[in-house]
Amino acid sequence: MSNQKKRNFQIEAFKHRVVVDPKYADKTWQILERAIHQIYNQDASGLSFEELYRNAYNMVLHKFGEKLYTGFIATMTSHLKEKSKLIEAAQGGSFLEELNKKWNEHNKALEMIRDILMYMDRTYIESTKKTHVHPMGLNLWRDNVVHFTKIHTRLLNTLLDLVQKERTGEVIDRGLMRNVIKMFMDLGESVYQEDFEKPFLDASSEFYKVESQEFIESCDCGDYLKKAEKRLTEEIERVAHYLDAKSEEKITSVVEKEMIANHMQRLVHMENSGLVNMLLNDKYDDLGRMYNLFRRVTNGLVTVRDVMTSHLREMGKQLVTDPEKSKDPVEFVQRLLDERDKYDKIISTAFGNDKTFQNALNSSFEYFINLNARSPEFISLFVDDKLRKGLKGIADVDVEVILDKVMMLFRYLQEKDVFEKYYKQHLAKRLLSGKTVSDEAERSLIVKLKTECGYQFTSKLEGMFTDMKTSEDTMRGFYGSHPELSEGPTLIVQVLTTGSWPTQPAVPCNLPAEVSVLCEKFRSYYLGTHTGRRLSWQTNMGTADIKAIFGKGQKHELNVSTFQMCVLMLFNNSDRLSYKEIEQATEIPAADLKRCLQSLACVKGKNVIKKEPMSKDIGEEDSFVVNDKFTSKFYKVKIGTVVAQKETEPEKQETRQRVEEDRKPQIEAAIVRIMKSRKILDHNNIIAEVTKQLQPRFLANPTEIKKRIESLIERDFLERDSTDRKLYRYLA
Amino acid sequence: MGLSNDRIRFNVGGRIFETTATTLANAGRDSFFGALFDENWNLSQPEVLFIDRNPDCFAVLLDLLRTGDLNIPPNIPERLLHKEAMFYGLIDHLRTAKWGPFDGNRLHLSRSVTGIAPGDGTAIRAGPDGGCCVAHGSVVHVFDWMLEEHPTINLDYQRVNDVGWIDSGNIVLSACERLGRGDGGMGLFSSSSGELRYKFQVSHDNQIKSYSAGALSFSPDSKIFTSCKGRSNEYGIGVWDQITGKQLDFFYESPGWSLGDADKLQWLSGKNCLLVATLFPRKDNCYISLLDFRDKNMVWSWSDIGFLATAEEKRVRDAIAMEESNSICVVNEFEDLGFIDLRMDGGGSSVRWSSRSRLMKSKMPDEPCYPKLALHESQLFSSMNDSISVFCGSDWVLTSRLKRSYGGSICDFSIGGDRLFALHSEENVFDVWETLPPPII
Repeated sequence: MSNQKKRNFQIEAFKHRVVVDPKYADKTWQILERAIHQIYNQDASGLSFEELYRNAYNMVLHKFGEKLYTGFIATMTSHLKEKSKLIEAAQGGSFLEELNKKWNEHNKALEMIRDILMYMDRTYIESTKKTHVHPMGLNLWRDNVVHFTKIHTRLLNTLLDLVQKERTGEVIDRGLMRNVIKMFMDLGESVYQEDFEKPFLDASSEFYKVESQEFIESCDCGDYLKKAEKRLTEEIERVAHYLDAKSEEKITSVVEKEMIANHMQRLVHMENSGLVNMLLNDKYDDLGRMYNLFRRVTNGLVTVRDVMTSHLREMGKQLVTDPEKSKDPVEFVQRLLDERDKYDKIISTAFGNDKTFQNALNSSFEYFINLNARSPEFISLFVDDKLRKGLKGIADVDVEVILDKVMMLFRYLQEKDVFEKYYKQHLAKRLLSGKTVSDEAERSLIVKLKTECGYQFTSKLEGMFTDMKTSEDTMRGFYGSHPELSEGPTLIVQVLTTGSWPTQPAVPCNLPAEVSVLCEKFRSYYLGTHTGRRLSWQTNMGTADIKAIFGKGQKHELNVSTFQMCVLMLFNNSDRLSYKEIEQATEIPAADLKRCLQSLACVKGKNVIKKEPMSKDIGEEDSFVVNDKFTSKFYKVKIGTVVAQKETEPEKQETRQRVEEDRKPQIEAAIVRIMKSRKILDHNNIIAEVTKQLQPRFLANPTEIKKRIESLIERDFLERDSTDRKLYRYLA
Repeated sequence: MGLSNDRIRFNVGGRIFETTATTLANAGRDSFFGALFDENWNLSQPEVLFIDRNPDCFAVLLDLLRTGDLNIPPNIPERLLHKEAMFYGLIDHLRTAKWGPFDGNRLHLSRSVTGIAPGDGTAIRAGPDGGCCVAHGSVVHVFDWMLEEHPTINLDYQRVNDVGWIDSGNIVLSACERLGRGDGGMGLFSSSSGELRYKFQVSHDNQIKSYSAGALSFSPDSKIFTSCKGRSNEYGIGVWDQITGKQLDFFYESPGWSLGDADKLQWLSGKNCLLVATLFPRKDNCYISLLDFRDKNMVWSWSDIGFLATAEEKRVRDAIAMEESNSICVVNEFEDLGFIDLRMDGGGSSVRWSSRSRLMKSKMPDEPCYPKLALHESQLFSSMNDSISVFCGSDWVLTSRLKRSYGGSICDFSIGGDRLFALHSEENVFDVWETLPPPII
């Protein structure tokens, strides 16, 4: 025990930390640094991954992560600095190749270094929120190589130079180009955009500005568009070959702006080759190209459409207002249809059936068709012509096509009721004279009108068809109950319902005795079977077939109107008759008689009677004899009445007046309907609503509406508000 | 690669292992083996590759790569295995193999972690990758999925009201303010280092004000919601952007209603609304409302004002919205579940209580905890005393009960990262419940 006291030994405090070899970190780092050098010098075959990984792991584990991280950055930076010098030294064409080679080497080295430092990447970097090894390697490449002053601008200029070369037709190494551009993309979107894309777009913009100016001075519109289209596809291809897909939109918008948007007006209005010229000459390819290019830029299509519309309106206006062209109604309408077909085809083949263009076409047609007040009449005449003879030998399908086209024009009409009026007249003529070619076509058109304008519009037209059918039955019944009539002249009566038909004031003439006897028999038969009806004869609308024997004994059957029949029958009893005698005997109205005599005496080849003196016009002092020398190669001779196909001026006035007259009750009905539901309304609103309601039939005239309102006030349907004179009140 | 070339031999820490490149390829490129076999590295070694690591752990990890299953022999400490997995870059493989997809009816207790903090636990929140954080008094303890504890976090040492995970690396903490000091409020912290990364400001009329932050909720479009109490009656719900950290919106509470004191916030993605529930005993009455921030509108509300006088026991203690069935589930202190239909205006409609009341009023523990509710993929969870009940199906049938004997009542629990964490009030112990990996057949 005493010994121990004497020893007086000291107990060392147990406080020193366990310290690993102080040189441990440096040693380990040296191993790793050497390995990085070897990797960069492509001399990695002797390296053991397991050993390097373990060393890096141990450094992080022993809290030397910071040293490892900064060491790796420093080593890599120094290598990249060296590399950038090598790249810079490369001459001419080998510059890009050298850069690409070094970039590939760096990528491979970076991957291997990341493998070694994987544990650091996962733990130390994660917890300290530093930049991971791979992005760090890319950043170092960006800062030390791409942004190295002696490389930066040279690289950009080289790339832009190559693009420029390719644009002027030279062949470049697209693979190399793609690799270098890919490098920019790998370095991050912002690097690609800032260091390549933006300058590239600027250079392109400059290039196309100059080129488009050159083209527009030297080419016509069609060629220019071809070139622009070619450039556009070239740029799209370029993007596909070696640029980032996101650049496509940007570069095409540059081309669009420089080559199209900036020259839009000039291109469209180019003399002798612009849009109007293309439209006139049906240049579908050029038009299609223009459509496809212009729709890429804002307001492009609007410009095209506006020019097309104004051209259409101008052209249409000339067409409908030219007095020469409106001489023949059939041709007039045919021309309209042709124009429509032409533009339909342009829109479907070149403008991709663009709805807005179709609308522009429709509104243009609506505009100019209604410029000519006679359009409704002409369209009806066109239909009349087609249904009389035009449809012979045409397949049903084609008939439908023609009718559909007519309906298209009909839709453009503002005054649909005028059309109805004419259509009724023309249909009556066709039905009564038995001229209609195809019952089916007639009915099909009526169905179309019905779907377009409603039941009301066609009810009277349908009534006409019913009358024709009933008349047939009536005639069968009549002859059935009078079997004795099979000998002698045959009378065919068509009983027409008053109101359904466009009857003119009936002026019955004196019929020849043979006929009037038959008429009486029919009247008593008809009134016997139908009570409470009244028959009046419309002799002005009938026709007759009469047999005649001329001087040399040749027999002919003459197809004439009832009036003409009356005149001719007079010659059975006398050889020579004066105008006055004929007028007295027949009591045909003077105008009709003159027309009727004119057609009998003055038409060459059909002059069955002779007039003395010979002249074109019928005078009151003229006298007439049978033309014994009449010859014709045909047995049947049709003697037409000299009727104006188109209406004469007074007739037109009359039709117009009738139309106006018919509109009055319609306007009044509309006013009453509206007021009945609204009770109180001010003047402007009434006008607006009435116009809207009548739109499908005609365009109501505001002054006329006003007159109708006045008239309704007089008749106590409406009253003015006592305080506000502009307000109307409905009186129930 | 021929079949014979596929064979590989390792010498790990002295023991020879033989396996195939195909098996090791399961590790993926971003691992030790992925790099080792990359063509960059010249693998010309003759027969055996040496690795200077623990052979026992290597055997476990090799089996993990072979079968996808994790079997840890009792002689290997988990910490050691985790460390080895880190070395090989296999830690994510290990985590996914450790427990199966969450199913409330197949849970088993994986671990209990004893707490060290004094005072009652305020909240426990499961993280997205299997970690959790526990708020006690003024600090928050953070545990990663390996249940390793990270540095604790706090906001000026003020009482923590709620915590929440934005992602596995970031935690938001809401705390009381200290009068006149501008402390407290809401802060964003790193889950690994516990550092404060950002402090969220609230401003009224362009003036920055100090505030107490209460319950938290997050929406998938990166917003943070919290109930705020300012000092001059600036009560309401504040909204911030998780990325910019800027205040986006503030929903002021209307007179006679409570938002700034809320116990619970829940973001409803389908309805684009925030559920705000302020409950007894924080206030004398319960207020539940749905807020639509697009037009600053309270689109639905319910309160028990005027309903109470008779039935004292039917006091709502927690609420959770269930968007699928268009209803809100509530619970009273006896763990009776009740449902409120969201399609009807809440004003008049009362709670439809389920009649499943348990007769346990006599058995109340010394220190009761109020029931809490949670919802996970159409399974409803409710905590009561020391157990958690699991309800399933459209009628919410009781299917399982999770119970542990000690640690006192459960004061909070949370589901996330395919785990359930339950925090006990007395001992500051929390339990980790996991679903077992799927059966072999």
